[in-house]
Formats: sequence, structure tokens, C-alpha cells
Amino acid sequence: MLRRHLLASLALLPLSFAVPTLAPVAAAAANVTEVLLPPWGTLPKGMTDRLASETGVTLDTQTLGWDQILTKVATSMIAGSPPADTTEVDWSWVGQFGAANWYLPLNDAVDAATLADIPSAKFFMVDGKLLAVPYANDFRVLIYNRDHLDRAGIKTAPTTPEQLLADAKAIKAKNITQYPIALPLSATEGSATAWYLLTKVFGGELFNEQFEPQFIKPDSAGYRAMAFEIEALKQGLISPAATGLKDVEVQELFKKGDASFDLAGWAGNVAVYSDPSKSQVAEHVAAALMLSTTGTARTIGLPEAMGIPATAKNKDGARTFINWFIKPENQIESYKTLGNLPTRTSVLKQLNSEGKLKSGDVILQQATLVDPLFKQGTPVWYPQFTSAVSSALNQAAKGQLTVAQAVAQIAEEAKSAMQP
Amino acid sequence: MTLTSIRERLRPTPGETWLGLAYVLPIILVMASLVFVPLLATVFDSLYRIDPMRPGTPFVGLLNYQNLATDSNVQHATWNTLVYVVLAVVLETLGGLAAALLLNKVRHGRQWLLAILVLPWCLPPVVNALVWLWIYNPSYGVLNNLLKGIGLISENQVWFNDHHTALLLISLVHVWRMLPLTAIILLAALQAIPGDLYEAAKLDGAGRIKCFRMITLPLIAGGLAISLSQSTVFAFNLFDEAWILNGASLDTRSLIIQVYMSAFQNLKFSYGMALSVLAMIASLLVSMVYVLKVYRETRFD
Repeated sequence: MLRRHLLASLALLPLSFAVPTLAPVAAAAANVTEVLLPPWGTLPKGMTDRLASETGVTLDTQTLGWDQILTKVATSMIAGSPPADTTEVDWSWVGQFGAANWYLPLNDAVDAATLADIPSAKFFMVDGKLLAVPYANDFRVLIYNRDHLDRAGIKTAPTTPEQLLADAKAIKAKNITQYPIALPLSATEGSATAWYLLTKVFGGELFNEQFEPQFIKPDSAGYRAMAFEIEALKQGLISPAATGLKDVEVQELFKKGDASFDLAGWAGNVAVYSDPSKSQVAEHVAAALMLSTTGTARTIGLPEAMGIPATAKNKDGARTFINWFIKPENQIESYKTLGNLPTRTSVLKQLNSEGKLKSGDVILQQATLVDPLFKQGTPVWYPQFTSAVSSALNQAAKGQLTVAQAVAQIAEEAKSAMQP
Repeated sequence: MTLTSIRERLRPTPGETWLGLAYVLPIILVMASLVFVPLLATVFDSLYRIDPMRPGTPFVGLLNYQNLATDSNVQHATWNTLVYVVLAVVLETLGGLAAALLLNKVRHGRQWLLAILVLPWCLPPVVNALVWLWIYNPSYGVLNNLLKGIGLISENQVWFNDHHTALLLISLVHVWRMLPLTAIILLAALQAIPGDLYEAAKLDGAGRIKCFRMITLPLIAGGLAISLSQSTVFAFNLFDEAWILNGASLDTRSLIIQVYMSAFQNLKFSYGMALSVLAMIASLLVSMVYVLKVYRETRFD
């Protein structure tokens, strides 16, 4: 009896392995394409339905956290299997993905006029190959609470780091808010990118052409940027809890009215902060050009894009989807529903002329002053470097390292990361 | 019936032997494919340079292991992990034993108490850590409000700004989750001790402490060894609590977080593999040392 059951079970076992193989047959017939994107890239049903009716492509969407996507892409590509037909490609992964040859070049997949309309596409070029097509235009602007400034008797937004400190002190002195500057200082990527931004604000670069660190000397922009952050923290202008807060958590402080300045504000967040259903300070939000010590309000671009892994099964479906997603009408809908700032300059101008782009003039002006973080392109060692930056910055904020020790530690780690 | 005839009756027939093997074959296959083959592959691959950003996968021998020895991040993570292991093993064992002894005394409603006790263990580690993230929150966390309420602190504290406090708080979250498992293992061992032994010891004039030392402890030695091993292995593998409560901060970074960062953020796979192999060996060695010690010191001959 037992033996019969066992034999029957063993006979059925191969069938259970065969069942999943039937799924791709059905998928291919319906032209289904798999996409792997973060929550802000996950399209609402209205858009996916329209995609299906306009192109015949049906989306099979996987939503993962931003850093989990990198893990999934890396493990899948090492195993030689596709993570999806289309995946998120962050600007910071470009060096690694380019060196590993994991993504298909998309130079011919998107027409030249469209690419010319997307300036941030240059962030995704590796050796002349376009690795991914940007869909979310992240660059940094200064976002502030106009009401806080008015109540403190401040007429205009600050334009220099010194003015920002003076304004923050004035706001704190009038008890409008206890910690006026919202800035992350945790050991996370958001803290590191804020320091990179401030390095630009202080008029410098992280590395020279030979990738030699330019932030070690006390008069360098990087050193002054970190000293500025630590000084603001010591003066009680940044919450001491910022040592444990990610960028998104710091943004919540601004939304609640607990902070007056979102110093490293995401340009797309002006719309989110101005939405009464998402923010308690919606009617007081305004954006200004990034601070500067040189007269030019430089900022950094951190765009996000979509690429097609070399192992993708439905490459045609993926190309169709990407081309559809970057059409002007879909970029506008993505901005309205998901808060993704359009990557096409023409779309930004159209939204501004229609009065639909919050602080549109500032956003458009700042968009022309976007610098890449690395002029040579994102290096393969960026993740190791940025992890060292966030750790050292976090230690400096906790008082465990001086600024001099922190920048020296970062330089040492950078040297180690660059070693073959 | 003689012993020989019993052995003859229990001797399996040739057909039954094959059937027995067929029944254990699935677990052998599962263990081989999911544990032993990946383990051997990891050890093997750690001797190569597996880095998707660089061409080829040349044999590098022990180079990954040599580099680990001088990596300051690995040294930080190793020290943090050792602190986690010591705190977790001590607190889980003492707390688990205390909980098991208390539960063993309870006659009514033990099942309800047991259900409450295992609740933290049933929660997914991420949910568990998120709950504690709110408790430790410097702005609205319960811990600050509680301590202010009883007058121990006058203003809100940012708990993770101090290295030692941060390590202790993360260990406590891990202990809170894993202590129930230790308690259940030890409770099972306690319930297997015959009551007659305690009665006989009392008649001989033994007090509570002597009973505990001479009867309870030796007879739960097996359970104690299992609980110590699992506490050690889980503490060595601590990831979720440290990652959710304090991210990649060097103050609280564990070895497994360092493995994750090396392999999946920096994409230096073989480097991460070498570190995971070392972490596994360390975990096994520590477990073995005190498991053997517990057996040696408490067993009855």
C-alpha cells in the first residue's frame, strides 16, 4: 500500500515541474512584458490599461524597493537569467552595469529627437552606448516653507550657505520651529548625496580628472560642505535625530511643518509637498535655486531610468513599453499620479506654460544648471565609495570623528575601492 | 523472548530497506541541493575572483581571505557581531531558562502564557524590528516617553548616537525575538524530568539550589546545548534588526550586513563569499566549544 502511494507520488512529480513551463507559452501569445520597478515607477491601472489598448503590450509588474532591485538584478544576471524584460536603472549603477555588459544598448531603440529632448540621457551613456532611458528627473533644488520665512521677517529665500544659517537661526529664535533645516545624516545614500550636492554648492568637485580626492584640504569644497553640515547640527539647526533618519524620513519633517528648509530637496517633491492630501504645509511650499558660493546655483542630477537586461525574454515588448512610457502624455500622467518629474525638457515647458508645474520657473531654470556628479561617468566603485561617505559622515555627525578624520577616512576608502 | 529473536524480528527485509531509502531520498536531495552543494560551491568560488565588472574569473587562492584580514569595515563588523553574540547568548539563555522554569511551575493556563511568550518569535523579523524602531524613535518613541515619565531622563535621547547603547538596544530586539525559542526548548527538557527525582532529593535533605544544580541542570543539558547553539548561530546571522534600526552604520554593522554590502552592493561576490565562509566557521566553532563543554560538565556517567 505504502509502496503504491510512493510510486504514484514519484510518477506525478515530473508533472508538477512541467506546469510552470506552460506559463510562458500563454504569456508570449498575449505579448506580456515583465517590468521590475520601484514604487514610484509602478504605473496605476489606468495607465497599464491604456498601454495595452494602444500597443497591445500587457505589463506584468514587479514592485521592489530601490536597493532590492539592485540585488535582484545582480543575482539574476550572475545566474544568466532575466530579472525582468525592463528594469529600473539608477544613475549610480551605471558604472557597474556598463562594466558588466548586463544591459542592451538602446541608442537605436529610441529616436534621436526624443533623446535630444532628454538631457539626463547623458548620465546613462557608457562608451557611447545608451544603457537606459530616463523616466524620472531627479535633481536637487532648495525647497522652503514660505510661511516660516514670513513669520521670521525674512523676505527672500537664502542664496548662500551663510544666509541659510542666518535665516535658520532667525526662525529658531522666534520659536517657529525647533530645527529649521531638514537634512539626513544617517548612514544612508540620501546623506551622501546631500554632501555631494553641498560640495557643488561650495564650488568644488569630489575628484579631479584622475579620480584623485579633492575634499581633504580644509579649504576644499567637500571639506567645507561637511563642516557646514556638522556646524548646523551643533548649532541646533538640524535635528539631532537626523543621524538616524533617511532622506524620505527627513522629508516627512518638512511635510509636517517641523522644518523650514528641505536643503537637498528633490525637484519632483515640490509637487508632492504642494498636495494637501500628502502634506500639511501644502499652501506654503516654494522652491528656490540651489545655494551657491560662486554665483552659479549648481546642482546635481540623480535621474532614474529604465533599461533592458541582455537576458530579457521579450525585448521587443520592453522596447515598446519604454518608448510608450516616455511619450509626452505619459510623462505628464506619471508626474500627476506618481510625482515623477518629466525627463523631457519640452514636457517640463509645456507643464509650466499650462501652470501645472509647481514653482515651474525655478524648476526649469535649475534644470539647466544640473551637473553630473562624475564628469567621467559614474565609476564602477561608486557603491563602495558612497557607502564609505555615508558611514564617515554619520560618524562625524555623532561626534565620533572630526571632519578632518572623516574626509581622510573617505579618501582612504576611495583609494581602496579604486584598487583593481 | 530472547534478545536475538527480537533482533531477528526487527531486521528489515530487503524490500523494506529500499523503501526506507526511497523515503529519505527526498530530504537527502533537498539537503544536498540546497545546503551542501551551495556550501561547497561558495567555498570553492571564494578562491576565485568573481566580479561581474571585470573580465574573467581567475584563481586567486587565499587573496580574498588576506584582504578581509586588513579590511577595517570587516574588523568593525566582526567586533560588533561578537558583542551581539555574547549579549544574545547570555540574555537568551538566562531569560529563556527563567521563563521555562516559571512556566514549568504554572499549573493552570500554561498554554495561554506559552502562546503569549511565542508571539515575538512568530512575528517576521522585519516587522519585529519596525515595531522597535518606533519604540526607540527619538521624537515620538515610547522608550523616551517612558523614561521621561519616571524621571530617569529629562529630554529625548537619540539612542543610536552612542555606539555601545546602539549595540545593546539592537541586541535586546534580537533577544526579544529569539528568547521564546530558548524558553520552549528548555521547557520541553524540564518537562521530561521525572518528579520522583526531586522528591527523593528532598527526602535526602537537598534544597532548591542543590536540586537545580544536581538534577535540573544535568538533565536539561541536551536542551541547553541545543538552545546555546541556536542562539549563537542566529546571533552570528543577525541582519534584519541591525539593518532596519540603524542601516549600514559602522556602529552597528554586523558581519552578515558586511557580506550583503560586499556581494550585493559592491558586487564583489567572491569577497562576500569568503567573508560568509569565515562567519559560518566562526559560528560553528563557537557553538561547538560550549556545546562540548556543557555536555562534559553536566552529563551523568
